[in-house]
Amino acid sequence: MNTGQLISGLAHVGLIGVAVFGGAFRAEPLPFEVTEVTAISAEEYAALIAQPEPDALATIATPEPPDAGETAVETPVEDAAPSAGQSALPELAPPDNAPEPVSEPAPPQPPEDVAVLVPDRAEEATPQPAPRVAPEAVAQPEPDVEIDDVDRQASEADATAETPAPDEPETAREAASTRIVTEAERAEAAAPTQSVRPKPRPSAQPPVEAETPSETETAETSPATDSVDAALAEALGGATEPAGGQETRAAQGPPLTAGEKDGLRIAVQECWNVGALSSDALSTTVVVAVSLGEDGRPMANTIEMIDATGGTTASARQAFEAARRAIIRCGARGYDLPVEKYASWRDIEMTFNPERMRIK
Amino acid sequence: MTKMILSLLTALMVVCAPALAAQEQGDRDGPLRIEITEGVIEPLPYAVPDLVAETAQASEYAANIARVIASDLSGTGLFREIPQNAHISRVTNFSSPVQFADWRAVNAQALITGGVSVDDAGRLVVRFRLFDVFAGQELGEGLQLVGTTTSWRRIAHKMADQVYSRLTGEAPYFDSRVVFVSETGPKDARQKRIGVMDYDGAGATYLTDASSIVLAPRFSPGGDRILFTSYESGFPKIYVMDVASATRQELQTQQGTMSFAPRFSPDGRTIVYSLSTGGNTDLYSMDIATGQSRRLTSAPSIETAPSFSPDGQQIVFESDRSGSPQLYIMPAQGGEAQRISFGQGRYGTPVWSPRGDLVAFTKQSKGRFHIGVMRTDGREERLLTASFLDEGPTWSPNGRVIMFTRETQGETGQAGLYSVDITGRNLRQVPTQTGASDPSWSPLLN
Repeated sequence: MNTGQLISGLAHVGLIGVAVFGGAFRAEPLPFEVTEVTAISAEEYAALIAQPEPDALATIATPEPPDAGETAVETPVEDAAPSAGQSALPELAPPDNAPEPVSEPAPPQPPEDVAVLVPDRAEEATPQPAPRVAPEAVAQPEPDVEIDDVDRQASEADATAETPAPDEPETAREAASTRIVTEAERAEAAAPTQSVRPKPRPSAQPPVEAETPSETETAETSPATDSVDAALAEALGGATEPAGGQETRAAQGPPLTAGEKDGLRIAVQECWNVGALSSDALSTTVVVAVSLGEDGRPMANTIEMIDATGGTTASARQAFEAARRAIIRCGARGYDLPVEKYASWRDIEMTFNPERMRIK
Repeated sequence: MTKMILSLLTALMVVCAPALAAQEQGDRDGPLRIEITEGVIEPLPYAVPDLVAETAQASEYAANIARVIASDLSGTGLFREIPQNAHISRVTNFSSPVQFADWRAVNAQALITGGVSVDDAGRLVVRFRLFDVFAGQELGEGLQLVGTTTSWRRIAHKMADQVYSRLTGEAPYFDSRVVFVSETGPKDARQKRIGVMDYDGAGATYLTDASSIVLAPRFSPGGDRILFTSYESGFPKIYVMDVASATRQELQTQQGTMSFAPRFSPDGRTIVYSLSTGGNTDLYSMDIATGQSRRLTSAPSIETAPSFSPDGQQIVFESDRSGSPQLYIMPAQGGEAQRISFGQGRYGTPVWSPRGDLVAFTKQSKGRFHIGVMRTDGREERLLTASFLDEGPTWSPNGRVIMFTRETQGETGQAGLYSVDITGRNLRQVPTQTGASDPSWSPLLN
């Protein structure tokens, strides 16, 4: 017997076994119902079917007529809501001293600032017109909230802290649409023109620590010949060591999770403004290398373009400069990355691919 | 057999395991890699403090030049000025180091500084620099411009052009002019004159009086001549005017015919126009030097509104040969035309983009007028505006902006000029002293 016959035989035996013991030929049982019954005595049966005497009803206390006010307001009848002046229990004679029925209050009207009109064609939600087009819509902030790149709650001075935190105004990101809406695409008269303004989004950025110098403070302490390089070097000077020294000191933790990577990506794209780029630059993908300090701030002098595809030298320069601004601006307060994984995110290569931004 | 299979599997694992381990190790040892595919589209914040007046005579220009630069940049919709009262730093010396931290604090991403002086010869000398604030670097080299004191607006436009090009990568367009028809008086007795102004509506001058109706002026590629149609003789006739001297000359066409809708070829030697005779309108071209005309179309339908492609090889025009006005493209020497518009509605006044990739047009659909753009093969049609009456688009020299006529409804309706970015954003009215229509954008001035 050769190997092929052996394998074939084993397979057939297995198949037959599965069919027989696996229930392939077993018919499904017909559906049936089980009803529980209880044996009772003849006396119990007689008691069950015995009709109550008519005078038994007389012993039931007649409910007192409800107050006139309740009659008007409560509407226990499901099928037909009582109209104005109609009693909820018309078969009961109202007591002599009952006041005149009170008209049922009119249903509450929607507040004036609630949009109730619906466009005729609502197949696609029309984005709120806004000068800012972003991957996700940002709610319109309250009028007295300062526009900033991040949402931040107004801070209050902490008396228990050694160094009171400077008072910072509440900020919110500028309202943003998700795509460009031209005049020709705007909805016409049937569309609502006003709606309730939603509250600002909850803070996504932790409040700045009291020890962290603000942007302005850093600026004030910079020398006269200040530059981003000098400012960042100064800011990072006390907290970090040169890259060589960090390698031995940095914790060798696990790699970043997908969520942590997404957080970094979202943080950078919030500042990646391609609105002023030419169409050529919007066809250019650049890869930018950057090193971060342990506090998550980018070191400006490490930002460099290591690759560019899809455009000219000039358009690559525009694309790189936009990417560099994004990295520095949104990293000014430090990216929110786990310090125990510093070795994983100290050196980053960011690919800025504007393909999806061309048609916005 | 089983041993063989097990051996193979073991060998495969032995071979692959180091590779997988190396890849994982590489991922951990190499830089973190992320891809950014979503960004934001919003105006870029910039600051332009008043220029430093380096001589007493220059003080009146220091603020004015800064304001024109700011108007140019903010007018594109691509930039947003940080108000001067929010500035922390004061630029008192053109050569002083820039306090980048102060400008970062007000979220200025670009900074323009400059100095202005009047030299001994009475010339205006302007120097300026552009900085990337967050990178702490100067962008490009500083520039110096010299001109007469009366040309300070042009100097400001040129400065803004440099900044715009450096930041966006687009070709400039601020230092350009627009010829248009000035309209005054009621609708039933409107007086029309040909005017020329800066692209932003400033410095308007008038080249004709209101004695006869004038229509559709068009700049030559060099910006030194203007073609227009006039009813001076009772019939519409085409004239060419020298802008500098305002002298004009009628282009001779067939007697007893009506000629209109002229436009220059890219080399400026030929014009293409419509000629109506015997109730039929066709396209013709004319060599300006010799006056020789050539018929380009011969169909019983109406062919009009021709416009050359930037390379001069093709002409896009409007024809109702299919039953309703649509857009067609044919060789510049005439020949078979190919229809490019297929949407619902009526298409007209096509104009080829200076970049060559788009055609702007007027569209009438469902009782409204639109300005739109489409690819030269008819794909990707996009309507940019919608109103009671929008018509007559013209391209900016860099092909990024379209200017057009918008007329309001009713007896008191007035025509005005508007501009819109080709993305459909930044719709703005161009300020004019009177009602205005039929704009034609000049090339970038020298």
